[in-house]
Amino acid sequence: MLDVKGLSFSIGNQPILSDVSFSVKEGEVIGLIGPNGSGKTTLFNVLSGFLNQTSGSITYKESDITNLSPYKRAHMGIGRVFQNFGIFREMTLEENVQVALEALPKNQKRELGDLKKVVKETLEIAGLQDSAKKKASSLSGGQMRLLEIARTLKSGNNLFLLDEPTAGVSPKMTNQIADMISTLKKDGKTVLIIEHDLPFIGKICDRVIVLDVGHIVLSDTPQNVKQSKELQEIYFGADPTT
Amino acid sequence: MIQFLLHVLVISSVTSCVTLGYNFVFGKGKILHFGQLVQTMVAAYGLWVPITQYGQPFFVGLCISISLLLIVTLLLSWLSMRLEPDGYGVLSIALHLIIIAIVLNWNSVTRGALGIPKIPRGILPSTTFGYAIVCVAVLAAWVFFLWRVDKGSFSRNLSALSENEWHAQSLGVSRARVHAIAFSIASGGSLISSILFSPYQGLLTPSDFHFPQMIFYVMCVVAGGPGKLWGVLGATTALVFLREGIRFVSISPSYIGPVQLLLFGAILFISVWIRRDTVFPKERKI
Repeated sequence: MLDVKGLSFSIGNQPILSDVSFSVKEGEVIGLIGPNGSGKTTLFNVLSGFLNQTSGSITYKESDITNLSPYKRAHMGIGRVFQNFGIFREMTLEENVQVALEALPKNQKRELGDLKKVVKETLEIAGLQDSAKKKASSLSGGQMRLLEIARTLKSGNNLFLLDEPTAGVSPKMTNQIADMISTLKKDGKTVLIIEHDLPFIGKICDRVIVLDVGHIVLSDTPQNVKQSKELQEIYFGADPTT
Repeated sequence: MIQFLLHVLVISSVTSCVTLGYNFVFGKGKILHFGQLVQTMVAAYGLWVPITQYGQPFFVGLCISISLLLIVTLLLSWLSMRLEPDGYGVLSIALHLIIIAIVLNWNSVTRGALGIPKIPRGILPSTTFGYAIVCVAVLAAWVFFLWRVDKGSFSRNLSALSENEWHAQSLGVSRARVHAIAFSIASGGSLISSILFSPYQGLLTPSDFHFPQMIFYVMCVVAGGPGKLWGVLGATTALVFLREGIRFVSISPSYIGPVQLLLFGAILFISVWIRRDTVFPKERKI
């Protein structure tokens, strides 16, 4: 589904990502963890096309998307949920969903049918159907996150890049978000998720990739990653048991 | 008095066509574009130079004007995507200065500072009353068109891009397409004003394209509420009325210019202060 080979990204002489390579199979849910500044969000920005890699290649569904613009990647079914809420605060909730649906390629829009109905359904998924005409700025952080995920879900994406979806969200909403991701998994969608919440990652991910200073240091099951020495060293500086 | 009101009606209708188009770029799109007069100059000189200087029919002039305008529109929208917002703002001012320098110095074609006299009215009415009716009708049609555009998906895409480019693009919104349409709408306003304004005056002169006129457009959009169709229409009408009306106040003619500048400077200052949260994008990058 997604093949990343030798991906590097630098700002001036400062490398942010160095020779990052990994593959993601269709239907996999992969957690991406690592300390602040390890390059997780930068990796997402390169995968989404907002930053141009210094070297390396990205293949998605057997097409080379390395030099595609962000909106073309979105049209191919790569959905993104941003760390800082990708919601347009000056627009109503209805308009927030409309923008996403109207931006879809024509054939996808045709498949969706009545867009007004889809807008309603999307708001229902987020539990916000009664606030359709309200401005998005009136929502809480958790509600914004739910709306953003529901919108990405309804836009017919196949690969989801979720950047810290539970950041600043209440435990109740964290459970709701976990349920949404589980639904994605059941529907056979592929998810790459950046998180600091290890129990959350353990609960929903098939595999975890650990990034440190722009390098992949580990890629294994959540259980193995939790017990690994590398993870202890990255987060605590040394293995606390020694 | 009636003649004055009809004159204000003509000027405000023509100016509104430009400011309403410009509102989509600067107001709704929050693109720091200060080169609207580049489009208006290109449209006006592209239209009237072939007709008056080379004896071409109106249709040929119109085709040349639209072709040149298309090139300028694409150039401006391309530049607006290649540069950071502030950089583009400065560059659009530089483009304005370049174009007006060309107009002022290419005497053999534009007649420089003297301007081009005897711009024909053609099929347009010869009386001020008739002219005012035509201008209001054209403005009404333009407002209706823009109102429809404002309710549609393009307008939502433009608002989304102006609020956060990355978020909008991640949903599949094409920045290139949206910018090109926004600048085309602005150019449409310039073309309409070029068709109506020069024949009304009977003269095409570079003095109508100096930078204070651009500031006037900015003021109309900011005072009316960036992105608000009816607000900008109302503000343009009120400000044109004020600008034209001040000429009839019984003060020495040598004071009228400075008084106008002071008054409009104060209006712009207050408008920007009041709307400081909506004029410029809050968040440009992640």
